[in-house]
Amino acid sequence: MNEAGQFEPKIVAYVCNWCTYLGADLAGTTRLEYPPNVRIIRLPCTGRIDFNLIVKAFEIGADAVLVSGCHPGDCHYTAGNYHARRRWILFRELLEALGFEMERIHFTWISAAEGRKWQQVVTEITEQTRKLGPYKNLYADTGNGSLPIPEAAPAVDQPAGSEGSLRQRCHQLLADGTVKVVIGYGTGGPVCVTKPADVGRLVWNNQCSSNLTTYLKRQEVRKLGRAAIVVKVCDERALVVLEKESQLDRKDLHVMGMACNGMGQPKCATCDVRVPRFADEVIGEVASVPLAGPPNAAPRGGAALEVLLAKSPAERMACWAREFERCVKCYACRQVCPLCYCERCIVEKNRPTVIDPSPTVKGNFAWHITRAFHLAGRCIGCDECTRACPAGIDLRLLNLSLAKAAEEHFGYRAGINRDVEPLIGAYSLQDKENFIR
Amino acid sequence: MSFTITQDGLSKLVNEWLARGKRVAGPSRVKRDCILYVPLQGPDQLLLEDFIRPANSLKEFLFPKHERLFGYRINGNGVELFELEPPKTEQLLIAARPCDAAALPILDQVFNWDCADEFYNRRRQLTTVVTLACSAHDDACFCTSVGLSPCAERGSDVMLVKLDRGKYEVRCHTEKGRSLMEGRLEPSDQVASEPLGPEKRFDPAEVREFVKHNFASAFWQSEGLTCLGCGACAYTCPTCHCFDIIDEGNANEGARVRNWDSCQFSMFTQHASGHNPRENQPARQRQRISHKFDIYPEKFGEILCTGCGNCTRNCPVGIGALSVLTEIGHGEHL
Ligand code: SF4
Ligand code: SF4
Ligand code: SF4
Repeated sequence: MNEAGQFEPKIVAYVCNWCTYLGADLAGTTRLEYPPNVRIIRLPCTGRIDFNLIVKAFEIGADAVLVSGCHPGDCHYTAGNYHARRRWILFRELLEALGFEMERIHFTWISAAEGRKWQQVVTEITEQTRKLGPYKNLYADTGNGSLPIPEAAPAVDQPAGSEGSLRQRCHQLLADGTVKVVIGYGTGGPVCVTKPADVGRLVWNNQCSSNLTTYLKRQEVRKLGRAAIVVKVCDERALVVLEKESQLDRKDLHVMGMACNGMGQPKCATCDVRVPRFADEVIGEVASVPLAGPPNAAPRGGAALEVLLAKSPAERMACWAREFERCVKCYACRQVCPLCYCERCIVEKNRPTVIDPSPTVKGNFAWHITRAFHLAGRCIGCDECTRACPAGIDLRLLNLSLAKAAEEHFGYRAGINRDVEPLIGAYSLQDKENFIR
Repeated sequence: MSFTITQDGLSKLVNEWLARGKRVAGPSRVKRDCILYVPLQGPDQLLLEDFIRPANSLKEFLFPKHERLFGYRINGNGVELFELEPPKTEQLLIAARPCDAAALPILDQVFNWDCADEFYNRRRQLTTVVTLACSAHDDACFCTSVGLSPCAERGSDVMLVKLDRGKYEVRCHTEKGRSLMEGRLEPSDQVASEPLGPEKRFDPAEVREFVKHNFASAFWQSEGLTCLGCGACAYTCPTCHCFDIIDEGNANEGARVRNWDSCQFSMFTQHASGHNPRENQPARQRQRISHKFDIYPEKFGEILCTGCGNCTRNCPVGIGALSVLTEIGHGEHL
């Protein structure tokens, strides 16, 4: 509020040290006038502007955020802004799905010579935000938000005889010393079988929907020695990502691929592979569904994501506020995820605290934004996070919004192609920038 | 001769409490496959029948997942501390499961041991617990193995036992319960039959003996191997009560808060030096079982488990206390 009692927006600008900061400086030294509403935070490079900072600014009361750096080709560190651009493309889609007011988030390229552009941009953003008014709906449960429930596929029986063949092969592998342990499905949950005599504990039926590849990160399991792991094709995609991210060496692993008829899960309704493609051996036969690779693939988010995205931003945010309210921060979603392999998760960092560790509205949003975005372009859609959540929170829809963005903007599906570079970590000069001014 | 109440009578009770600005919490279907204890907006949200039990526990209404303990303000070079208002809203926990209610007297002990926890105690005084005896159980239930039953009275002010659909026998166990139900009951000659509990699955004395003498046993190595180290078991357990204390705020002001914590997290025992005395998941699993069946009984004279089975139902990899306990009982470690 200003002295006349009118609303004065607070705008946080994250700018790079080499271009936009100098541009803003130039605006100052050449005495260009612009509204004093913007608080500048200088960072080395747009590539170093963590997405959490954007969220943080809103958390502490910003009404709009501006992120600005060097024009493409001008990055002081060669490619920082290209990496940033790719991340923003994805991050914007996540914020959309969560129901953020996107007209409060701005991206620009402003060079050291563009003092006038800085003046213009800040003036316009200030005006626009003044019209929007204060950001009241951040994390607000404004109404009857309830997330659409995804449709599951019918549960089908798995191919007869697969279980027997699996046990037999695992017996051989353990007996001849090819592997020291088999990570497989048991009756009540996953089992680690180390003795040939115990292979009877392994099962293969339509209850095997979990993704065992998460055990590859567990030190207790790693210590057992070379492993054989039982995977379905959806799980196998995690192996591809882990390999691309140098988290595993396929030589240390024997992959038992199971041809799968479907486990009756929502993910199965859109599964288009069914037979593992990179396994050391495949057990069983099912009617194969051809891989509908990008760019021809139908939207894989399914109806639930469409329904969510068709809601207004305020409704979407209300949906998530209501979901996240139930989150107790047990981190089951993180622990079951094969791709959440950091030894110390960012939520456990407390010098300084990056993510508010409390299970409050703010702390829960911060956690869920971080979890989802750290898996952008990496999540392989096994839905383990959603299955594990004791509070019934549908994390799947957030993952899907990012998977959809990866597919639409980059023709990329995580874990499908062993020859393609990981989405985050690479960039292309052609990455779209119609949202950057 | 007994006293009864109908579902309508219960709805009326809920409505009256809500109308007086008090809190009412009970089981509710929050979405298709998820039933939780939640604060109710109205009696139609209350779910009484046709499910085993909520996936969370009642403890969060006495020991919430996040609680502000006191506030601070930075004043020049000094820090000013200030008290926060203690809870003052009366609450009714309705259709609670007996295994949840039984946890409350157990928790009372630890929250009043070396210091009396003001927030917990205040909430406890403000709370009336109406339990509903269980008419069904599943493979994860094991109340009978820890000395309770589907109609165990412990921790209940009032217990409802199902007579017919939508009609309940009412048994008041405390003064609080009697005054809550005053004027609401119908006399009847129907008496509810005692509901059937799950079969006994293990003997807690045997478990205690085992954990006392097998600290270094290979049993834990194999049991804890598939545990992923999340907090789903502890956070949905009615008796687990560990918390973490942090300061939360900005450069000018904030609060000291406590949040739930779990012994299954690797960070739980991590020292500043980097050393971790419970260095792997098997050691953390052992801790959870030992604390419940040996350490707590040693200190407070009772088991820190009510057999609700939540840890087992909520475990993403099918472990939970029950699988470990039955294996000890079956002598599979020998
Ligand atoms: S997603 Fe595909 S491979 Fe995975 S369980 Fe479902 S049908 Fe099987
Ligand atoms: S599993 Fe569910 S309750 Fe636990 S931290 Fe994840 S979202 Fe929250
Ligand atoms: S984020 Fe969830 S769906 Fe994606 S890989 Fe991890 S556990 Fe699977």
